[in-house]
Amino acid sequence: MSGGGAPGVIGELREILARATGQEELLDLSEQAPLFGDGVGLDSLTGTLLLREVHRRFGVDVAAEDLNLDALATLATLATYITERAAAGPAPGS
Amino acid sequence: MIVKCVVWDLDNTLLSGVYLESGAQPPRPDPALVAAAAQLRDRGIIHAIASRNPPEAAQYAARVTGLDFAAAECGWDRKSDAVRRIAADLGLSPDAVAFVDDDPYERAEVSFAVPEALVLSPEDMADAVGWPEFSPAVVTAEARRRGEMYAERRRREQEARTFAGSRDEFLRYCGTRVTIGRATGADVPRLHELSVRTHQFNTSGQPVAEPELRRLVGSAEHLVTTVRLSDRFGDDGLVGGCVTRAGPDGIWTVTLLMMSCRAMGRGVIEALLAWLAGTAARGGATALAVPCLVSPRNVPLRLALTAAGFRADPGASSGQRHAVFSRPLSGLLPEVPDWVTSSVASGVTEP
Repeated sequence: MSGGGAPGVIGELREILARATGQEELLDLSEQAPLFGDGVGLDSLTGTLLLREVHRRFGVDVAAEDLNLDALATLATLATYITERAAAGPAPGS
Repeated sequence: MIVKCVVWDLDNTLLSGVYLESGAQPPRPDPALVAAAAQLRDRGIIHAIASRNPPEAAQYAARVTGLDFAAAECGWDRKSDAVRRIAADLGLSPDAVAFVDDDPYERAEVSFAVPEALVLSPEDMADAVGWPEFSPAVVTAEARRRGEMYAERRRREQEARTFAGSRDEFLRYCGTRVTIGRATGADVPRLHELSVRTHQFNTSGQPVAEPELRRLVGSAEHLVTTVRLSDRFGDDGLVGGCVTRAGPDGIWTVTLLMMSCRAMGRGVIEALLAWLAGTAARGGATALAVPCLVSPRNVPLRLALTAAGFRADPGASSGQRHAVFSRPLSGLLPEVPDWVTSSVASGVTEP
């Protein structure tokens, strides 16, 4: 198992990131590349757009459960988080 | 008369479609109207719904627009009755209410039955946010310029959409200038306003009264910092502030941090956190701590803290209402961009 995130989820996350940042090259982003700091440079604006879209598409509210936002370390960690939460059942209210 | 509440129709107004005719995927919110509504909300104007829909439509609208609705009248009777009930519910006189609907018949009905109300079409709203009726008496320069800043922001966002480079390059292209300074008494009203109005970037979630802010500005044990923002599109004035205290244990604590969401996406919160880390390190601190209310509203602040290397205290869980985010000041600190200038000469005096 590589990361545990479904390939479809990784692909969707790449699309969301590319759109949120306006950087098309993120469509080829490595699963292991850090989202914060050099590289993607996720910040409060792009991070908010990403979290909102993840909530909308997958029904997973990352910020509500993950205080330090560790799920946002890489594409792989985020996809794993989403896949596990989605498997555990739909989020309340979604 | 100043409008205190805007009553919105949903179908083809606040929502880009008809709720009951849209099947599994309800219509998206109208981005322009939601932006206008958020703008009015930031002036202290509240929102309500009058819609020919089931109550779920109002809940859906609140969720997708991110707006808080003080009242919602969902049903099939006359809209003028809904407007009057909303005004009564909120303790407002009908002349403090505006009504926005795409349907000319509904507008005529409300105009006839509630002549005191300001009745508008969705097309009117883009301009209406600049009208005196939507501009409550305000004390700060920032609040007075809100209409202009909105126009400036629209121009900036238009250019951003067609700009080819990275966001950092766009901020440079815009001539972004962040100026960090030590607060004076003259900044107190605006700092108070920020403490009341900011939510997405606010560590306390509590308004801070002017006398308390004045005390902190005059305190030798606290550093009250102001952050101003401008670029070639306009001057946003004082958009953020923070209060810092140096502890005897070598830990600097940011007891309050707040920033206007207007400055979001313009590198300001990132610049402020980087500047704080650098300033605290030069002042001899070993760690910087940011006690923080944990709420769904200030997730953007948590994102900025995480990006700047802050971590919540071990053992804290997202279920609790407060957490202390901190970072050590050894090793590589976040970089302060060169378009940030600081006029804060000295640090905080240790008690």
